[in-house]
Amino acid sequence: HAALSRRYVLCEVISEDPRCRQCIEDRVLGLAVRDAITRVHGDYGLACCSISFTVKYLNAYTGTVLLRCRKDSYRLLCSALPFVRHLESRGQRYPCSLNTLHVGGTIRTCQKFLIQYNRTQLLRLLQNCTNEEERQCIQKSLLSCSLTEEQSESGDEEDDDGTE
Amino acid sequence: RGPAGPGMAAAAFERRVLRSAAEHHYLRVRLELPDGGARPNAAQFKQLVVTALRELHGEVGAALPVDVLTYEEKTLSAILRVISSGLVKLWSALTLLGFYQNRRCAFRVLQFCLFFLSPNQTSPFLLALSGNSRELVLD
Repeated sequence: HAALSRRYVLCEVISEDPRCRQCIEDRVLGLAVRDAITRVHGDYGLACCSISFTVKYLNAYTGTVLLRCRKDSYRLLCSALPFVRHLESRGQRYPCSLNTLHVGGTIRTCQKFLIQYNRTQLLRLLQNCTNEEERQCIQKSLLSCSLTEEQSESGDEEDDDGTE
Repeated sequence: RGPAGPGMAAAAFERRVLRSAAEHHYLRVRLELPDGGARPNAAQFKQLVVTALRELHGEVGAALPVDVLTYEEKTLSAILRVISSGLVKLWSALTLLGFYQNRRCAFRVLQFCLFFLSPNQTSPFLLALSGNSRELVLD
C-alpha cells in the first residue's frame, strides 16, 4: 500500500511591525498562504496543496510556523511562500514575509531543527546585545530555563516510513 | 508526395523535422462563442488564452511562453505554440475556460502535433499540421 507521505514546512514570520505578532493565528496564516498559492499557482495549485493542508504549530512570540501538506505538492507550497506579503486580521493588515527554515518529513525532524535553530538564534541575540542591561536580561532568562518532564504524546506525530 | 483524398490531386508537401523537435508543441484550437456577439480580435484572443492559464495555473501559468501563430477572427480558430513542458498546463487551462467577457464560451482542441511544417519560402501557405488531408477545404 502506498504510504501517505506528508511534508512539514517550518517557516518564520518576519515583520518590521511588532503588531504583526497578534496576527499570527492559524486561521490568518492559513488564509494568507492559501491566497498566495492561488495567486502563484491558480485553482489547480490551490486544490493540490489544500489536500492535507493545515497549520500544525504556531509560536507568536518567535514567529515560528509549521505547515503541513502532501509530499506531492510541497514544492507548490514552498514556491508560493515568498509571495505572502501581509497578514490580515480583524480588518487590520500588517506587512510581513515568510522565511522558510526547514522542510522535513515528520514533525520530529522539524522539532529537532527548531531546537537547534533557536539555540543559535539565542546565542546570536546575546552577541548582538547593544547594552549591558539587555545582555544581563537575556543571560538571566537563559539560565532560568528549565526542562520539565512531560507525558509523551502518542498519536500526535506522523512518521514517514520512507516507502513509496 | 502526400496522401491524396478522394477526387483530389496528390498534395505535394515537404516534411522538415527539426532536430530539437520536442522543444515546442502545437495546438490547433477553435473558440466557440454560441451567443453570436462581437468576436475577439487577435490581441483579445491572446489575452483570453493567458487569462485561462492564469485562472487555472496562476501567475506561473500566465507566464508560460505561448504564441498565437495564426488567428482567424471569422472562424475563431488559431494555431497555438507552447513550450513542450507547458502543454498540459495550456491544454487543461483551455479546457476549463468557460467565459469570455461574461459570455459562455468553450475551447475545442482540434489538432495537436509535435512539429510544425514551417511556411518556407517556396510554399506560401500553411499545410495541415499533421498531414490530415480531410481538414483541407477548397475555396
